[in-house]
Amino acid sequence: MLKFNNVCFSYQQDTLIHDVSFHIQEGEFAALIGENGAGKSTISKLCNGLLKPKTGDVLIQGQNTKTTKSSMLARSVGYLFQNPDRQICQNTIRGEIMFGLSYILKDQALCEKRCDRIIEQFQFRGEQDPFHLSRGERQRVALASILVCEPKLLILDEPTTGLDYRECVQIMELVRELHRAGTTIMMITHDMELVQDYADRVLVLNEGRLIGDGACEEVMTDMALLRRASVLPAQIPMLAMELGTTFHGVYSVNDMAERIHELQQRRA
Amino acid sequence: MHTPMIHIENLNFQYKQGQDFALKDISLDIAKGEFVGIIGSSGAGKTSFTCALNGMIPHHYAGDFYGAVTINGMDTVEVKPVELSRFIGSVFQDVDAQMVATIVEDEILFGLENFQIPHEEIEERIQTALETIGISHLRNRTISTLSGGQKQKVAIAAMIALRPQLLILDEPTGELDPAGSRQIFEMLRILNQQYHMTIVIVEQKIMLLCEYVRRLLVFHEGRIEYDGQTRMVLEHKEELEKLGVNVPRMITLADTLKKRGCHIDTVPVSIAEAKKMVEEVLIHA
Amino acid sequence: MGGFLDYIQGTSFLHRLNPLTKLLIAFLLCVACFICDRHLFVLGIIVLNLLLAGVAGKEVLLRSLNMLRALVKFSAFLFVIQILFVREGTALLHLPFGLVITDRGLSFSLLFVLRLFAATMPIGLMLSVTRMSDLSNVLVEKVGIPYQYTFALTTTLRFIPLFSQEMAGIMEAQTARGVEFDTKNFFKKIRLLMPLCVPLLISSVKKIDGAAVSTELRGFHLRNRNSGYKKYCLKGADAAALAMMACIMTCAVIL
Repeated sequence: MLKFNNVCFSYQQDTLIHDVSFHIQEGEFAALIGENGAGKSTISKLCNGLLKPKTGDVLIQGQNTKTTKSSMLARSVGYLFQNPDRQICQNTIRGEIMFGLSYILKDQALCEKRCDRIIEQFQFRGEQDPFHLSRGERQRVALASILVCEPKLLILDEPTTGLDYRECVQIMELVRELHRAGTTIMMITHDMELVQDYADRVLVLNEGRLIGDGACEEVMTDMALLRRASVLPAQIPMLAMELGTTFHGVYSVNDMAERIHELQQRRA
Repeated sequence: MHTPMIHIENLNFQYKQGQDFALKDISLDIAKGEFVGIIGSSGAGKTSFTCALNGMIPHHYAGDFYGAVTINGMDTVEVKPVELSRFIGSVFQDVDAQMVATIVEDEILFGLENFQIPHEEIEERIQTALETIGISHLRNRTISTLSGGQKQKVAIAAMIALRPQLLILDEPTGELDPAGSRQIFEMLRILNQQYHMTIVIVEQKIMLLCEYVRRLLVFHEGRIEYDGQTRMVLEHKEELEKLGVNVPRMITLADTLKKRGCHIDTVPVSIAEAKKMVEEVLIHA
Repeated sequence: MGGFLDYIQGTSFLHRLNPLTKLLIAFLLCVACFICDRHLFVLGIIVLNLLLAGVAGKEVLLRSLNMLRALVKFSAFLFVIQILFVREGTALLHLPFGLVITDRGLSFSLLFVLRLFAATMPIGLMLSVTRMSDLSNVLVEKVGIPYQYTFALTTTLRFIPLFSQEMAGIMEAQTARGVEFDTKNFFKKIRLLMPLCVPLLISSVKKIDGAAVSTELRGFHLRNRNSGYKKYCLKGADAAALAMMACIMTCAVIL
């Protein structure tokens, strides 16, 4: 689905991405983590052609981003930006959803049908003005207007910034449903709990290099790797590390409770 | 009896006629030197509350204002926000919008010049503010070249050069990464503990908030649902989750262990406390 | 564009001059190149500008040279238009369609273009060696311009890069959903800019409201003419610079 082959990218004199290679299969949910400035946004923009690699190739379902226009790639790659206000430009929800879709699909009737379907799915009121909604709602509108184009790959750039807990859960559960239906997801985030709860696979970036790539549980409990990337681990794995080797491999709250229970039994 | 620094009585506020009240029946006291955290879902009234404290409500944001907010004995309706700013500092989420100058030094100078601080005192105040925040090396830097975290520190330094007694922050770490966020909180801890500044901070990053603040206010639909010591408020895990608050995993763990019959004295608000909790549970196996 | 307006840090002689002196010199150099009709004099001003930039530092010189390069590219078109439309004097070259290049035309166009360079470069140089805040402070303190106006100007200049960043972000977001901003067709691009105005306007208004609240809370309205902490005295160096400027002006008038 998404292939990075020895990709290098520089901006002016600085090399931002050094020789990054990875392959995300169809249907995977990958999280991209790393400290600020590690190159996460750069990688995500290389994924949909907003940035073109200096050397190496980025292939999306076989299409090379160097030879395809970014606006064309939008048909297969949906990108949800951190700030929904940069995308929303119409004064009704329906108008917003139709706007992006009309660039991709020329059949008006099909556009209307898809639009209706997604408005129903999200339970929107089509005539409402997006700018009167809360940030969380606007994020949902932005997501809806991307999903209506039925992208095969969905990139989420810090999707939960500025959202409260309930809004986070709403958006992420929607993303989970999409994942179950077969969409490939790549999510950039600082929130380790979010990664724990939703991602199957984690890519760790540090100073433009890929220093870790593996199953979520493996990477999230690899303290040395996370330290190298200057990333604060999730709460439970960090607690497990503090408690010592008897808690090795503990990953979630339930794991922790189980391990404590076992140890209690053993001592009893 | 000590008069509290902030005294709020039956505050009700509505932005527009016919709309729901943004703040409903708020009554509380905040004493000098407190470190108060505010959480709640979006639209719960947190930002409106901070605006009521610094006078922006009702002076900048018009609406129907009922009740009274008294800060240091001054009624916020009768006193102009700029007068309140002599001892209240406000830091907002949008880092770029709150800057007024191109260079860090000028940013700090702005408030000092406006409030007619005697010129002999100015140099010392600039130096102290920068040192307290730990950004003396950024004095001559152009603000647009700084990172988000550094900019927020500059904003806070500019506030504290005016020696406020109360610092109000509305999601200051909203656009910062975890490392930057923690730095801001560390700095606030120093301001609170060493300089006895009263701090009221609205945040979504609950884990950090719980580690640093001693009192927690939970807002929901314009009302304060919980008001008390951080630990005590966090014990109501299920209710908090219903109110849309993201309860830290430590608390969920404590709750799970409690349900399994373990004895937990106080809920942990940091990794260190959680470690102690687990060790004690194992000892009392 | 923002790059040409930025201050470059330094401690050279030029950096240490009073901002008012620098403003006056920049202004007078502009005037001088319009008073005098001699090509060599105007060329001399350009050279003087580059020399001063050199004194101010390597980065400043580089910026001046880049500015000159940009001006040359920009004025090439104007040069050609001018030269084709001036028909007095002896013809040097006959072109099709009855157009002719004359010696007067050449001289006039050359002067025109040289004046363009000589008038723009001092301003660029001045902005490179003077902090915006110093400039606005000295205008308030010495010239008596109300603080509100200089603050409005510096704030506008400060917001330009912020808005252009927003605009770039908005264009990225729209390209990512299929809007063809990456088209080579200029007219198509312009038409596509229309829907961007809404998000840009909204984010701008939000930023400006935030800035207004922040500024008001920090006592903006309490300010008076003497609030400025930094004082800008005129020193010996300023006198010397202004004396030199007087000589240049005299030459401009005489020659």
